[in-house]
Amino acid sequence: MKKFLFAVLAVGAILACAPWALPDFWVSLLMTCMMYSALAVSWAMFSGATRYLSLATSALFGLGTYTTAMAMPYLPWPLLIFAGGLVATLFAFLAGAAVMHLRGTYFAVLTFGLGELVKHSITYTEKSVFGTVGRVLTEVPSNETLYWTMLILAMLAVVTYKLVANSRLGFAMRGIGADEQRAATLGVNPRKVKLIGFALSAWFAGAVGAAMAVRWTYIDPHSAFSPLIGFQTVLIAMIGGATTWRGPVIAAIVLSLLSDALRLNFPQAYLILLGVLLIVCVLFIPGGIASIQWRNLLGKRKEAA
Amino acid sequence: MKKTFTARRRAIVTALAAAIAAPAISFAQSADKPVRIGYTMSRTGPYAPGAQVSQEPNYVLWAQQVNAAGGLSVKGQKRKVELVAYDDRSEIETAVRTYEKLMGSDKVDLILPPWGSAMNFAIAPLANRYGYPFLAPTALSRKLIDMQLPYFFSLLQQPDKMMGALVDMLKANNVKTIAVVYMDDLFGIENMASLRLALRGTNIQIIESKSYPLGVKDLSPVLKSIKAMNPDAFIGITYPPDTILASTQSREIEFNPKFFYASVGTAFPLYKQRIGANAEGVLGMGSWNSKVTPEAKVYFDAHTSQMKKEPDRWASGHAWAGLEILQQSVDKVGLDRKALRDYIANNEFNTILGKIRFSRGENASVPGTVGQWQNGEFEVVWPQARATAKLVTAKPAWK
Repeated sequence: MKKFLFAVLAVGAILACAPWALPDFWVSLLMTCMMYSALAVSWAMFSGATRYLSLATSALFGLGTYTTAMAMPYLPWPLLIFAGGLVATLFAFLAGAAVMHLRGTYFAVLTFGLGELVKHSITYTEKSVFGTVGRVLTEVPSNETLYWTMLILAMLAVVTYKLVANSRLGFAMRGIGADEQRAATLGVNPRKVKLIGFALSAWFAGAVGAAMAVRWTYIDPHSAFSPLIGFQTVLIAMIGGATTWRGPVIAAIVLSLLSDALRLNFPQAYLILLGVLLIVCVLFIPGGIASIQWRNLLGKRKEAA
Repeated sequence: MKKTFTARRRAIVTALAAAIAAPAISFAQSADKPVRIGYTMSRTGPYAPGAQVSQEPNYVLWAQQVNAAGGLSVKGQKRKVELVAYDDRSEIETAVRTYEKLMGSDKVDLILPPWGSAMNFAIAPLANRYGYPFLAPTALSRKLIDMQLPYFFSLLQQPDKMMGALVDMLKANNVKTIAVVYMDDLFGIENMASLRLALRGTNIQIIESKSYPLGVKDLSPVLKSIKAMNPDAFIGITYPPDTILASTQSREIEFNPKFFYASVGTAFPLYKQRIGANAEGVLGMGSWNSKVTPEAKVYFDAHTSQMKKEPDRWASGHAWAGLEILQQSVDKVGLDRKALRDYIANNEFNTILGKIRFSRGENASVPGTVGQWQNGEFEVVWPQARATAKLVTAKPAWK
């Protein structure tokens, strides 16, 4: 564990220098990689372990975004990010309490529905209480601040993943993923465990949303609650391998870079590729990229040759 | 042995020197270097239909025309234009990242704005930070202008002007009652607020106002209830799909008020194609057509023949005017962006929409307008000073 923490810190320290060393575009590309790393790792923390497919990421991300839109003038930056995460956590607690007894597809569909519910509730409240839809952020922190914030969030997500995986909570969540009833007979309270895991992973999505909001200047429910962010997170985690933290990180980096490279040349190709990758992963490598035993694979090749 | 070594070394040194000098040489010949102009445009995603009607065809056409004429005149020196364009997939985050690349890493000479208010909200402050003049043809929000970004210039008439013109027209035609449906986003709500403000002090009554969400698929229940109230005028603050939806569904239920007004998309050629002869008499947001100036006719014909489609009768004209303003300014002051910004802010320009001058970042010359489909053309019918045809005061029945 000490070694792991040291490694994360070392990588973090190197990445922290990027704003001085790299051109703006690369910095913002790195930021996207880190954003999806944080989202996908925190998603895997809960959904990978319990095998409860959550499509709530866009709702949680959007809640973070809206926290920034509303509280920006009143809170200092670090507190704002924390608050964004907190709002998402609270929401996950309440929503989780209501839907956590559902399983499989029902859980997935309901978490997706939550996003729509929040989006339309915010639209309605904004319209009837504040007489507007859409908020403008004028005073925003510098790009460097945002970059470092995102870096810290990504590192925090990875470290939390590791801590949770090694803890009783992680053990219980994996137990639920393997066989919920058996875990219950062995003394795990599935409801409580799921709720805590869901709320914990929600914090990251909210915090990331709160940070990214300042890039948009103008925030309205349709862009804040874009379902694409949620889907992409799930795909990245699944393609990478949702039962590890390495998988989502690798997939987040590869797919973010690929997405930009393809967009600049073949605009339609990225989504097609994402679909193909997902099918390939589900059919042939259900554990994701991280589950491939590269050493064996390469070793066998050598023997064959 | 030694000789060959030095000879080779000399060759290497010469090659190196040449390699180092090469960029310097190309610098010296900067007149031959193209002027690089960057932008992102929604070629995929929900913004694509609008972006591909009102904005990108104009950018492409303009670059073609400028290059065909020998290049863009930079303080009298002709240089070719090179468009550096990317798809932003209708995603704000992607657009932000790409403009950062264009201005921060690629260091393009100039930029052109993306499509739509939400995109402009995100990019305008960025352009301001990097100090790039930003002449926006499709930004429609008072809030954006109120941010007072020095490098931001809005070309399209804002909600207060558009709704002001509409109310003037209704007043002049003795309208007493109106019913409104509007989109529940910034565009709908700002226009609705402007409409209410413009109606203050008149004796026109809003007998119904209903909002609806983005992506609405059925407006007929609302339209039926409005029909039962029999208002003099129907006002839809709508986007292209809803504009067509409201029109076709009104026809189905035979709701035919004296004034039928819809917003974005009414001035698109698409509207005429989809609604056909039923477009006759429909009012909407539009501000020009090929009759407003002789230059507008030239532009209209060039667009139709080269882009293989007609421009729309609203934002296209403004997009083109923005390009003309940029071109004239570059001709005068070159590519120094601060000087460009000051020149744009303090001068008046000849465009296809007539003379344009900016006041605090807003187009101060083109007033709010109302357009109307008449015999296959979207005519400007209000205010009378800018009208290209007389207003038809009672909409003919749907066919």
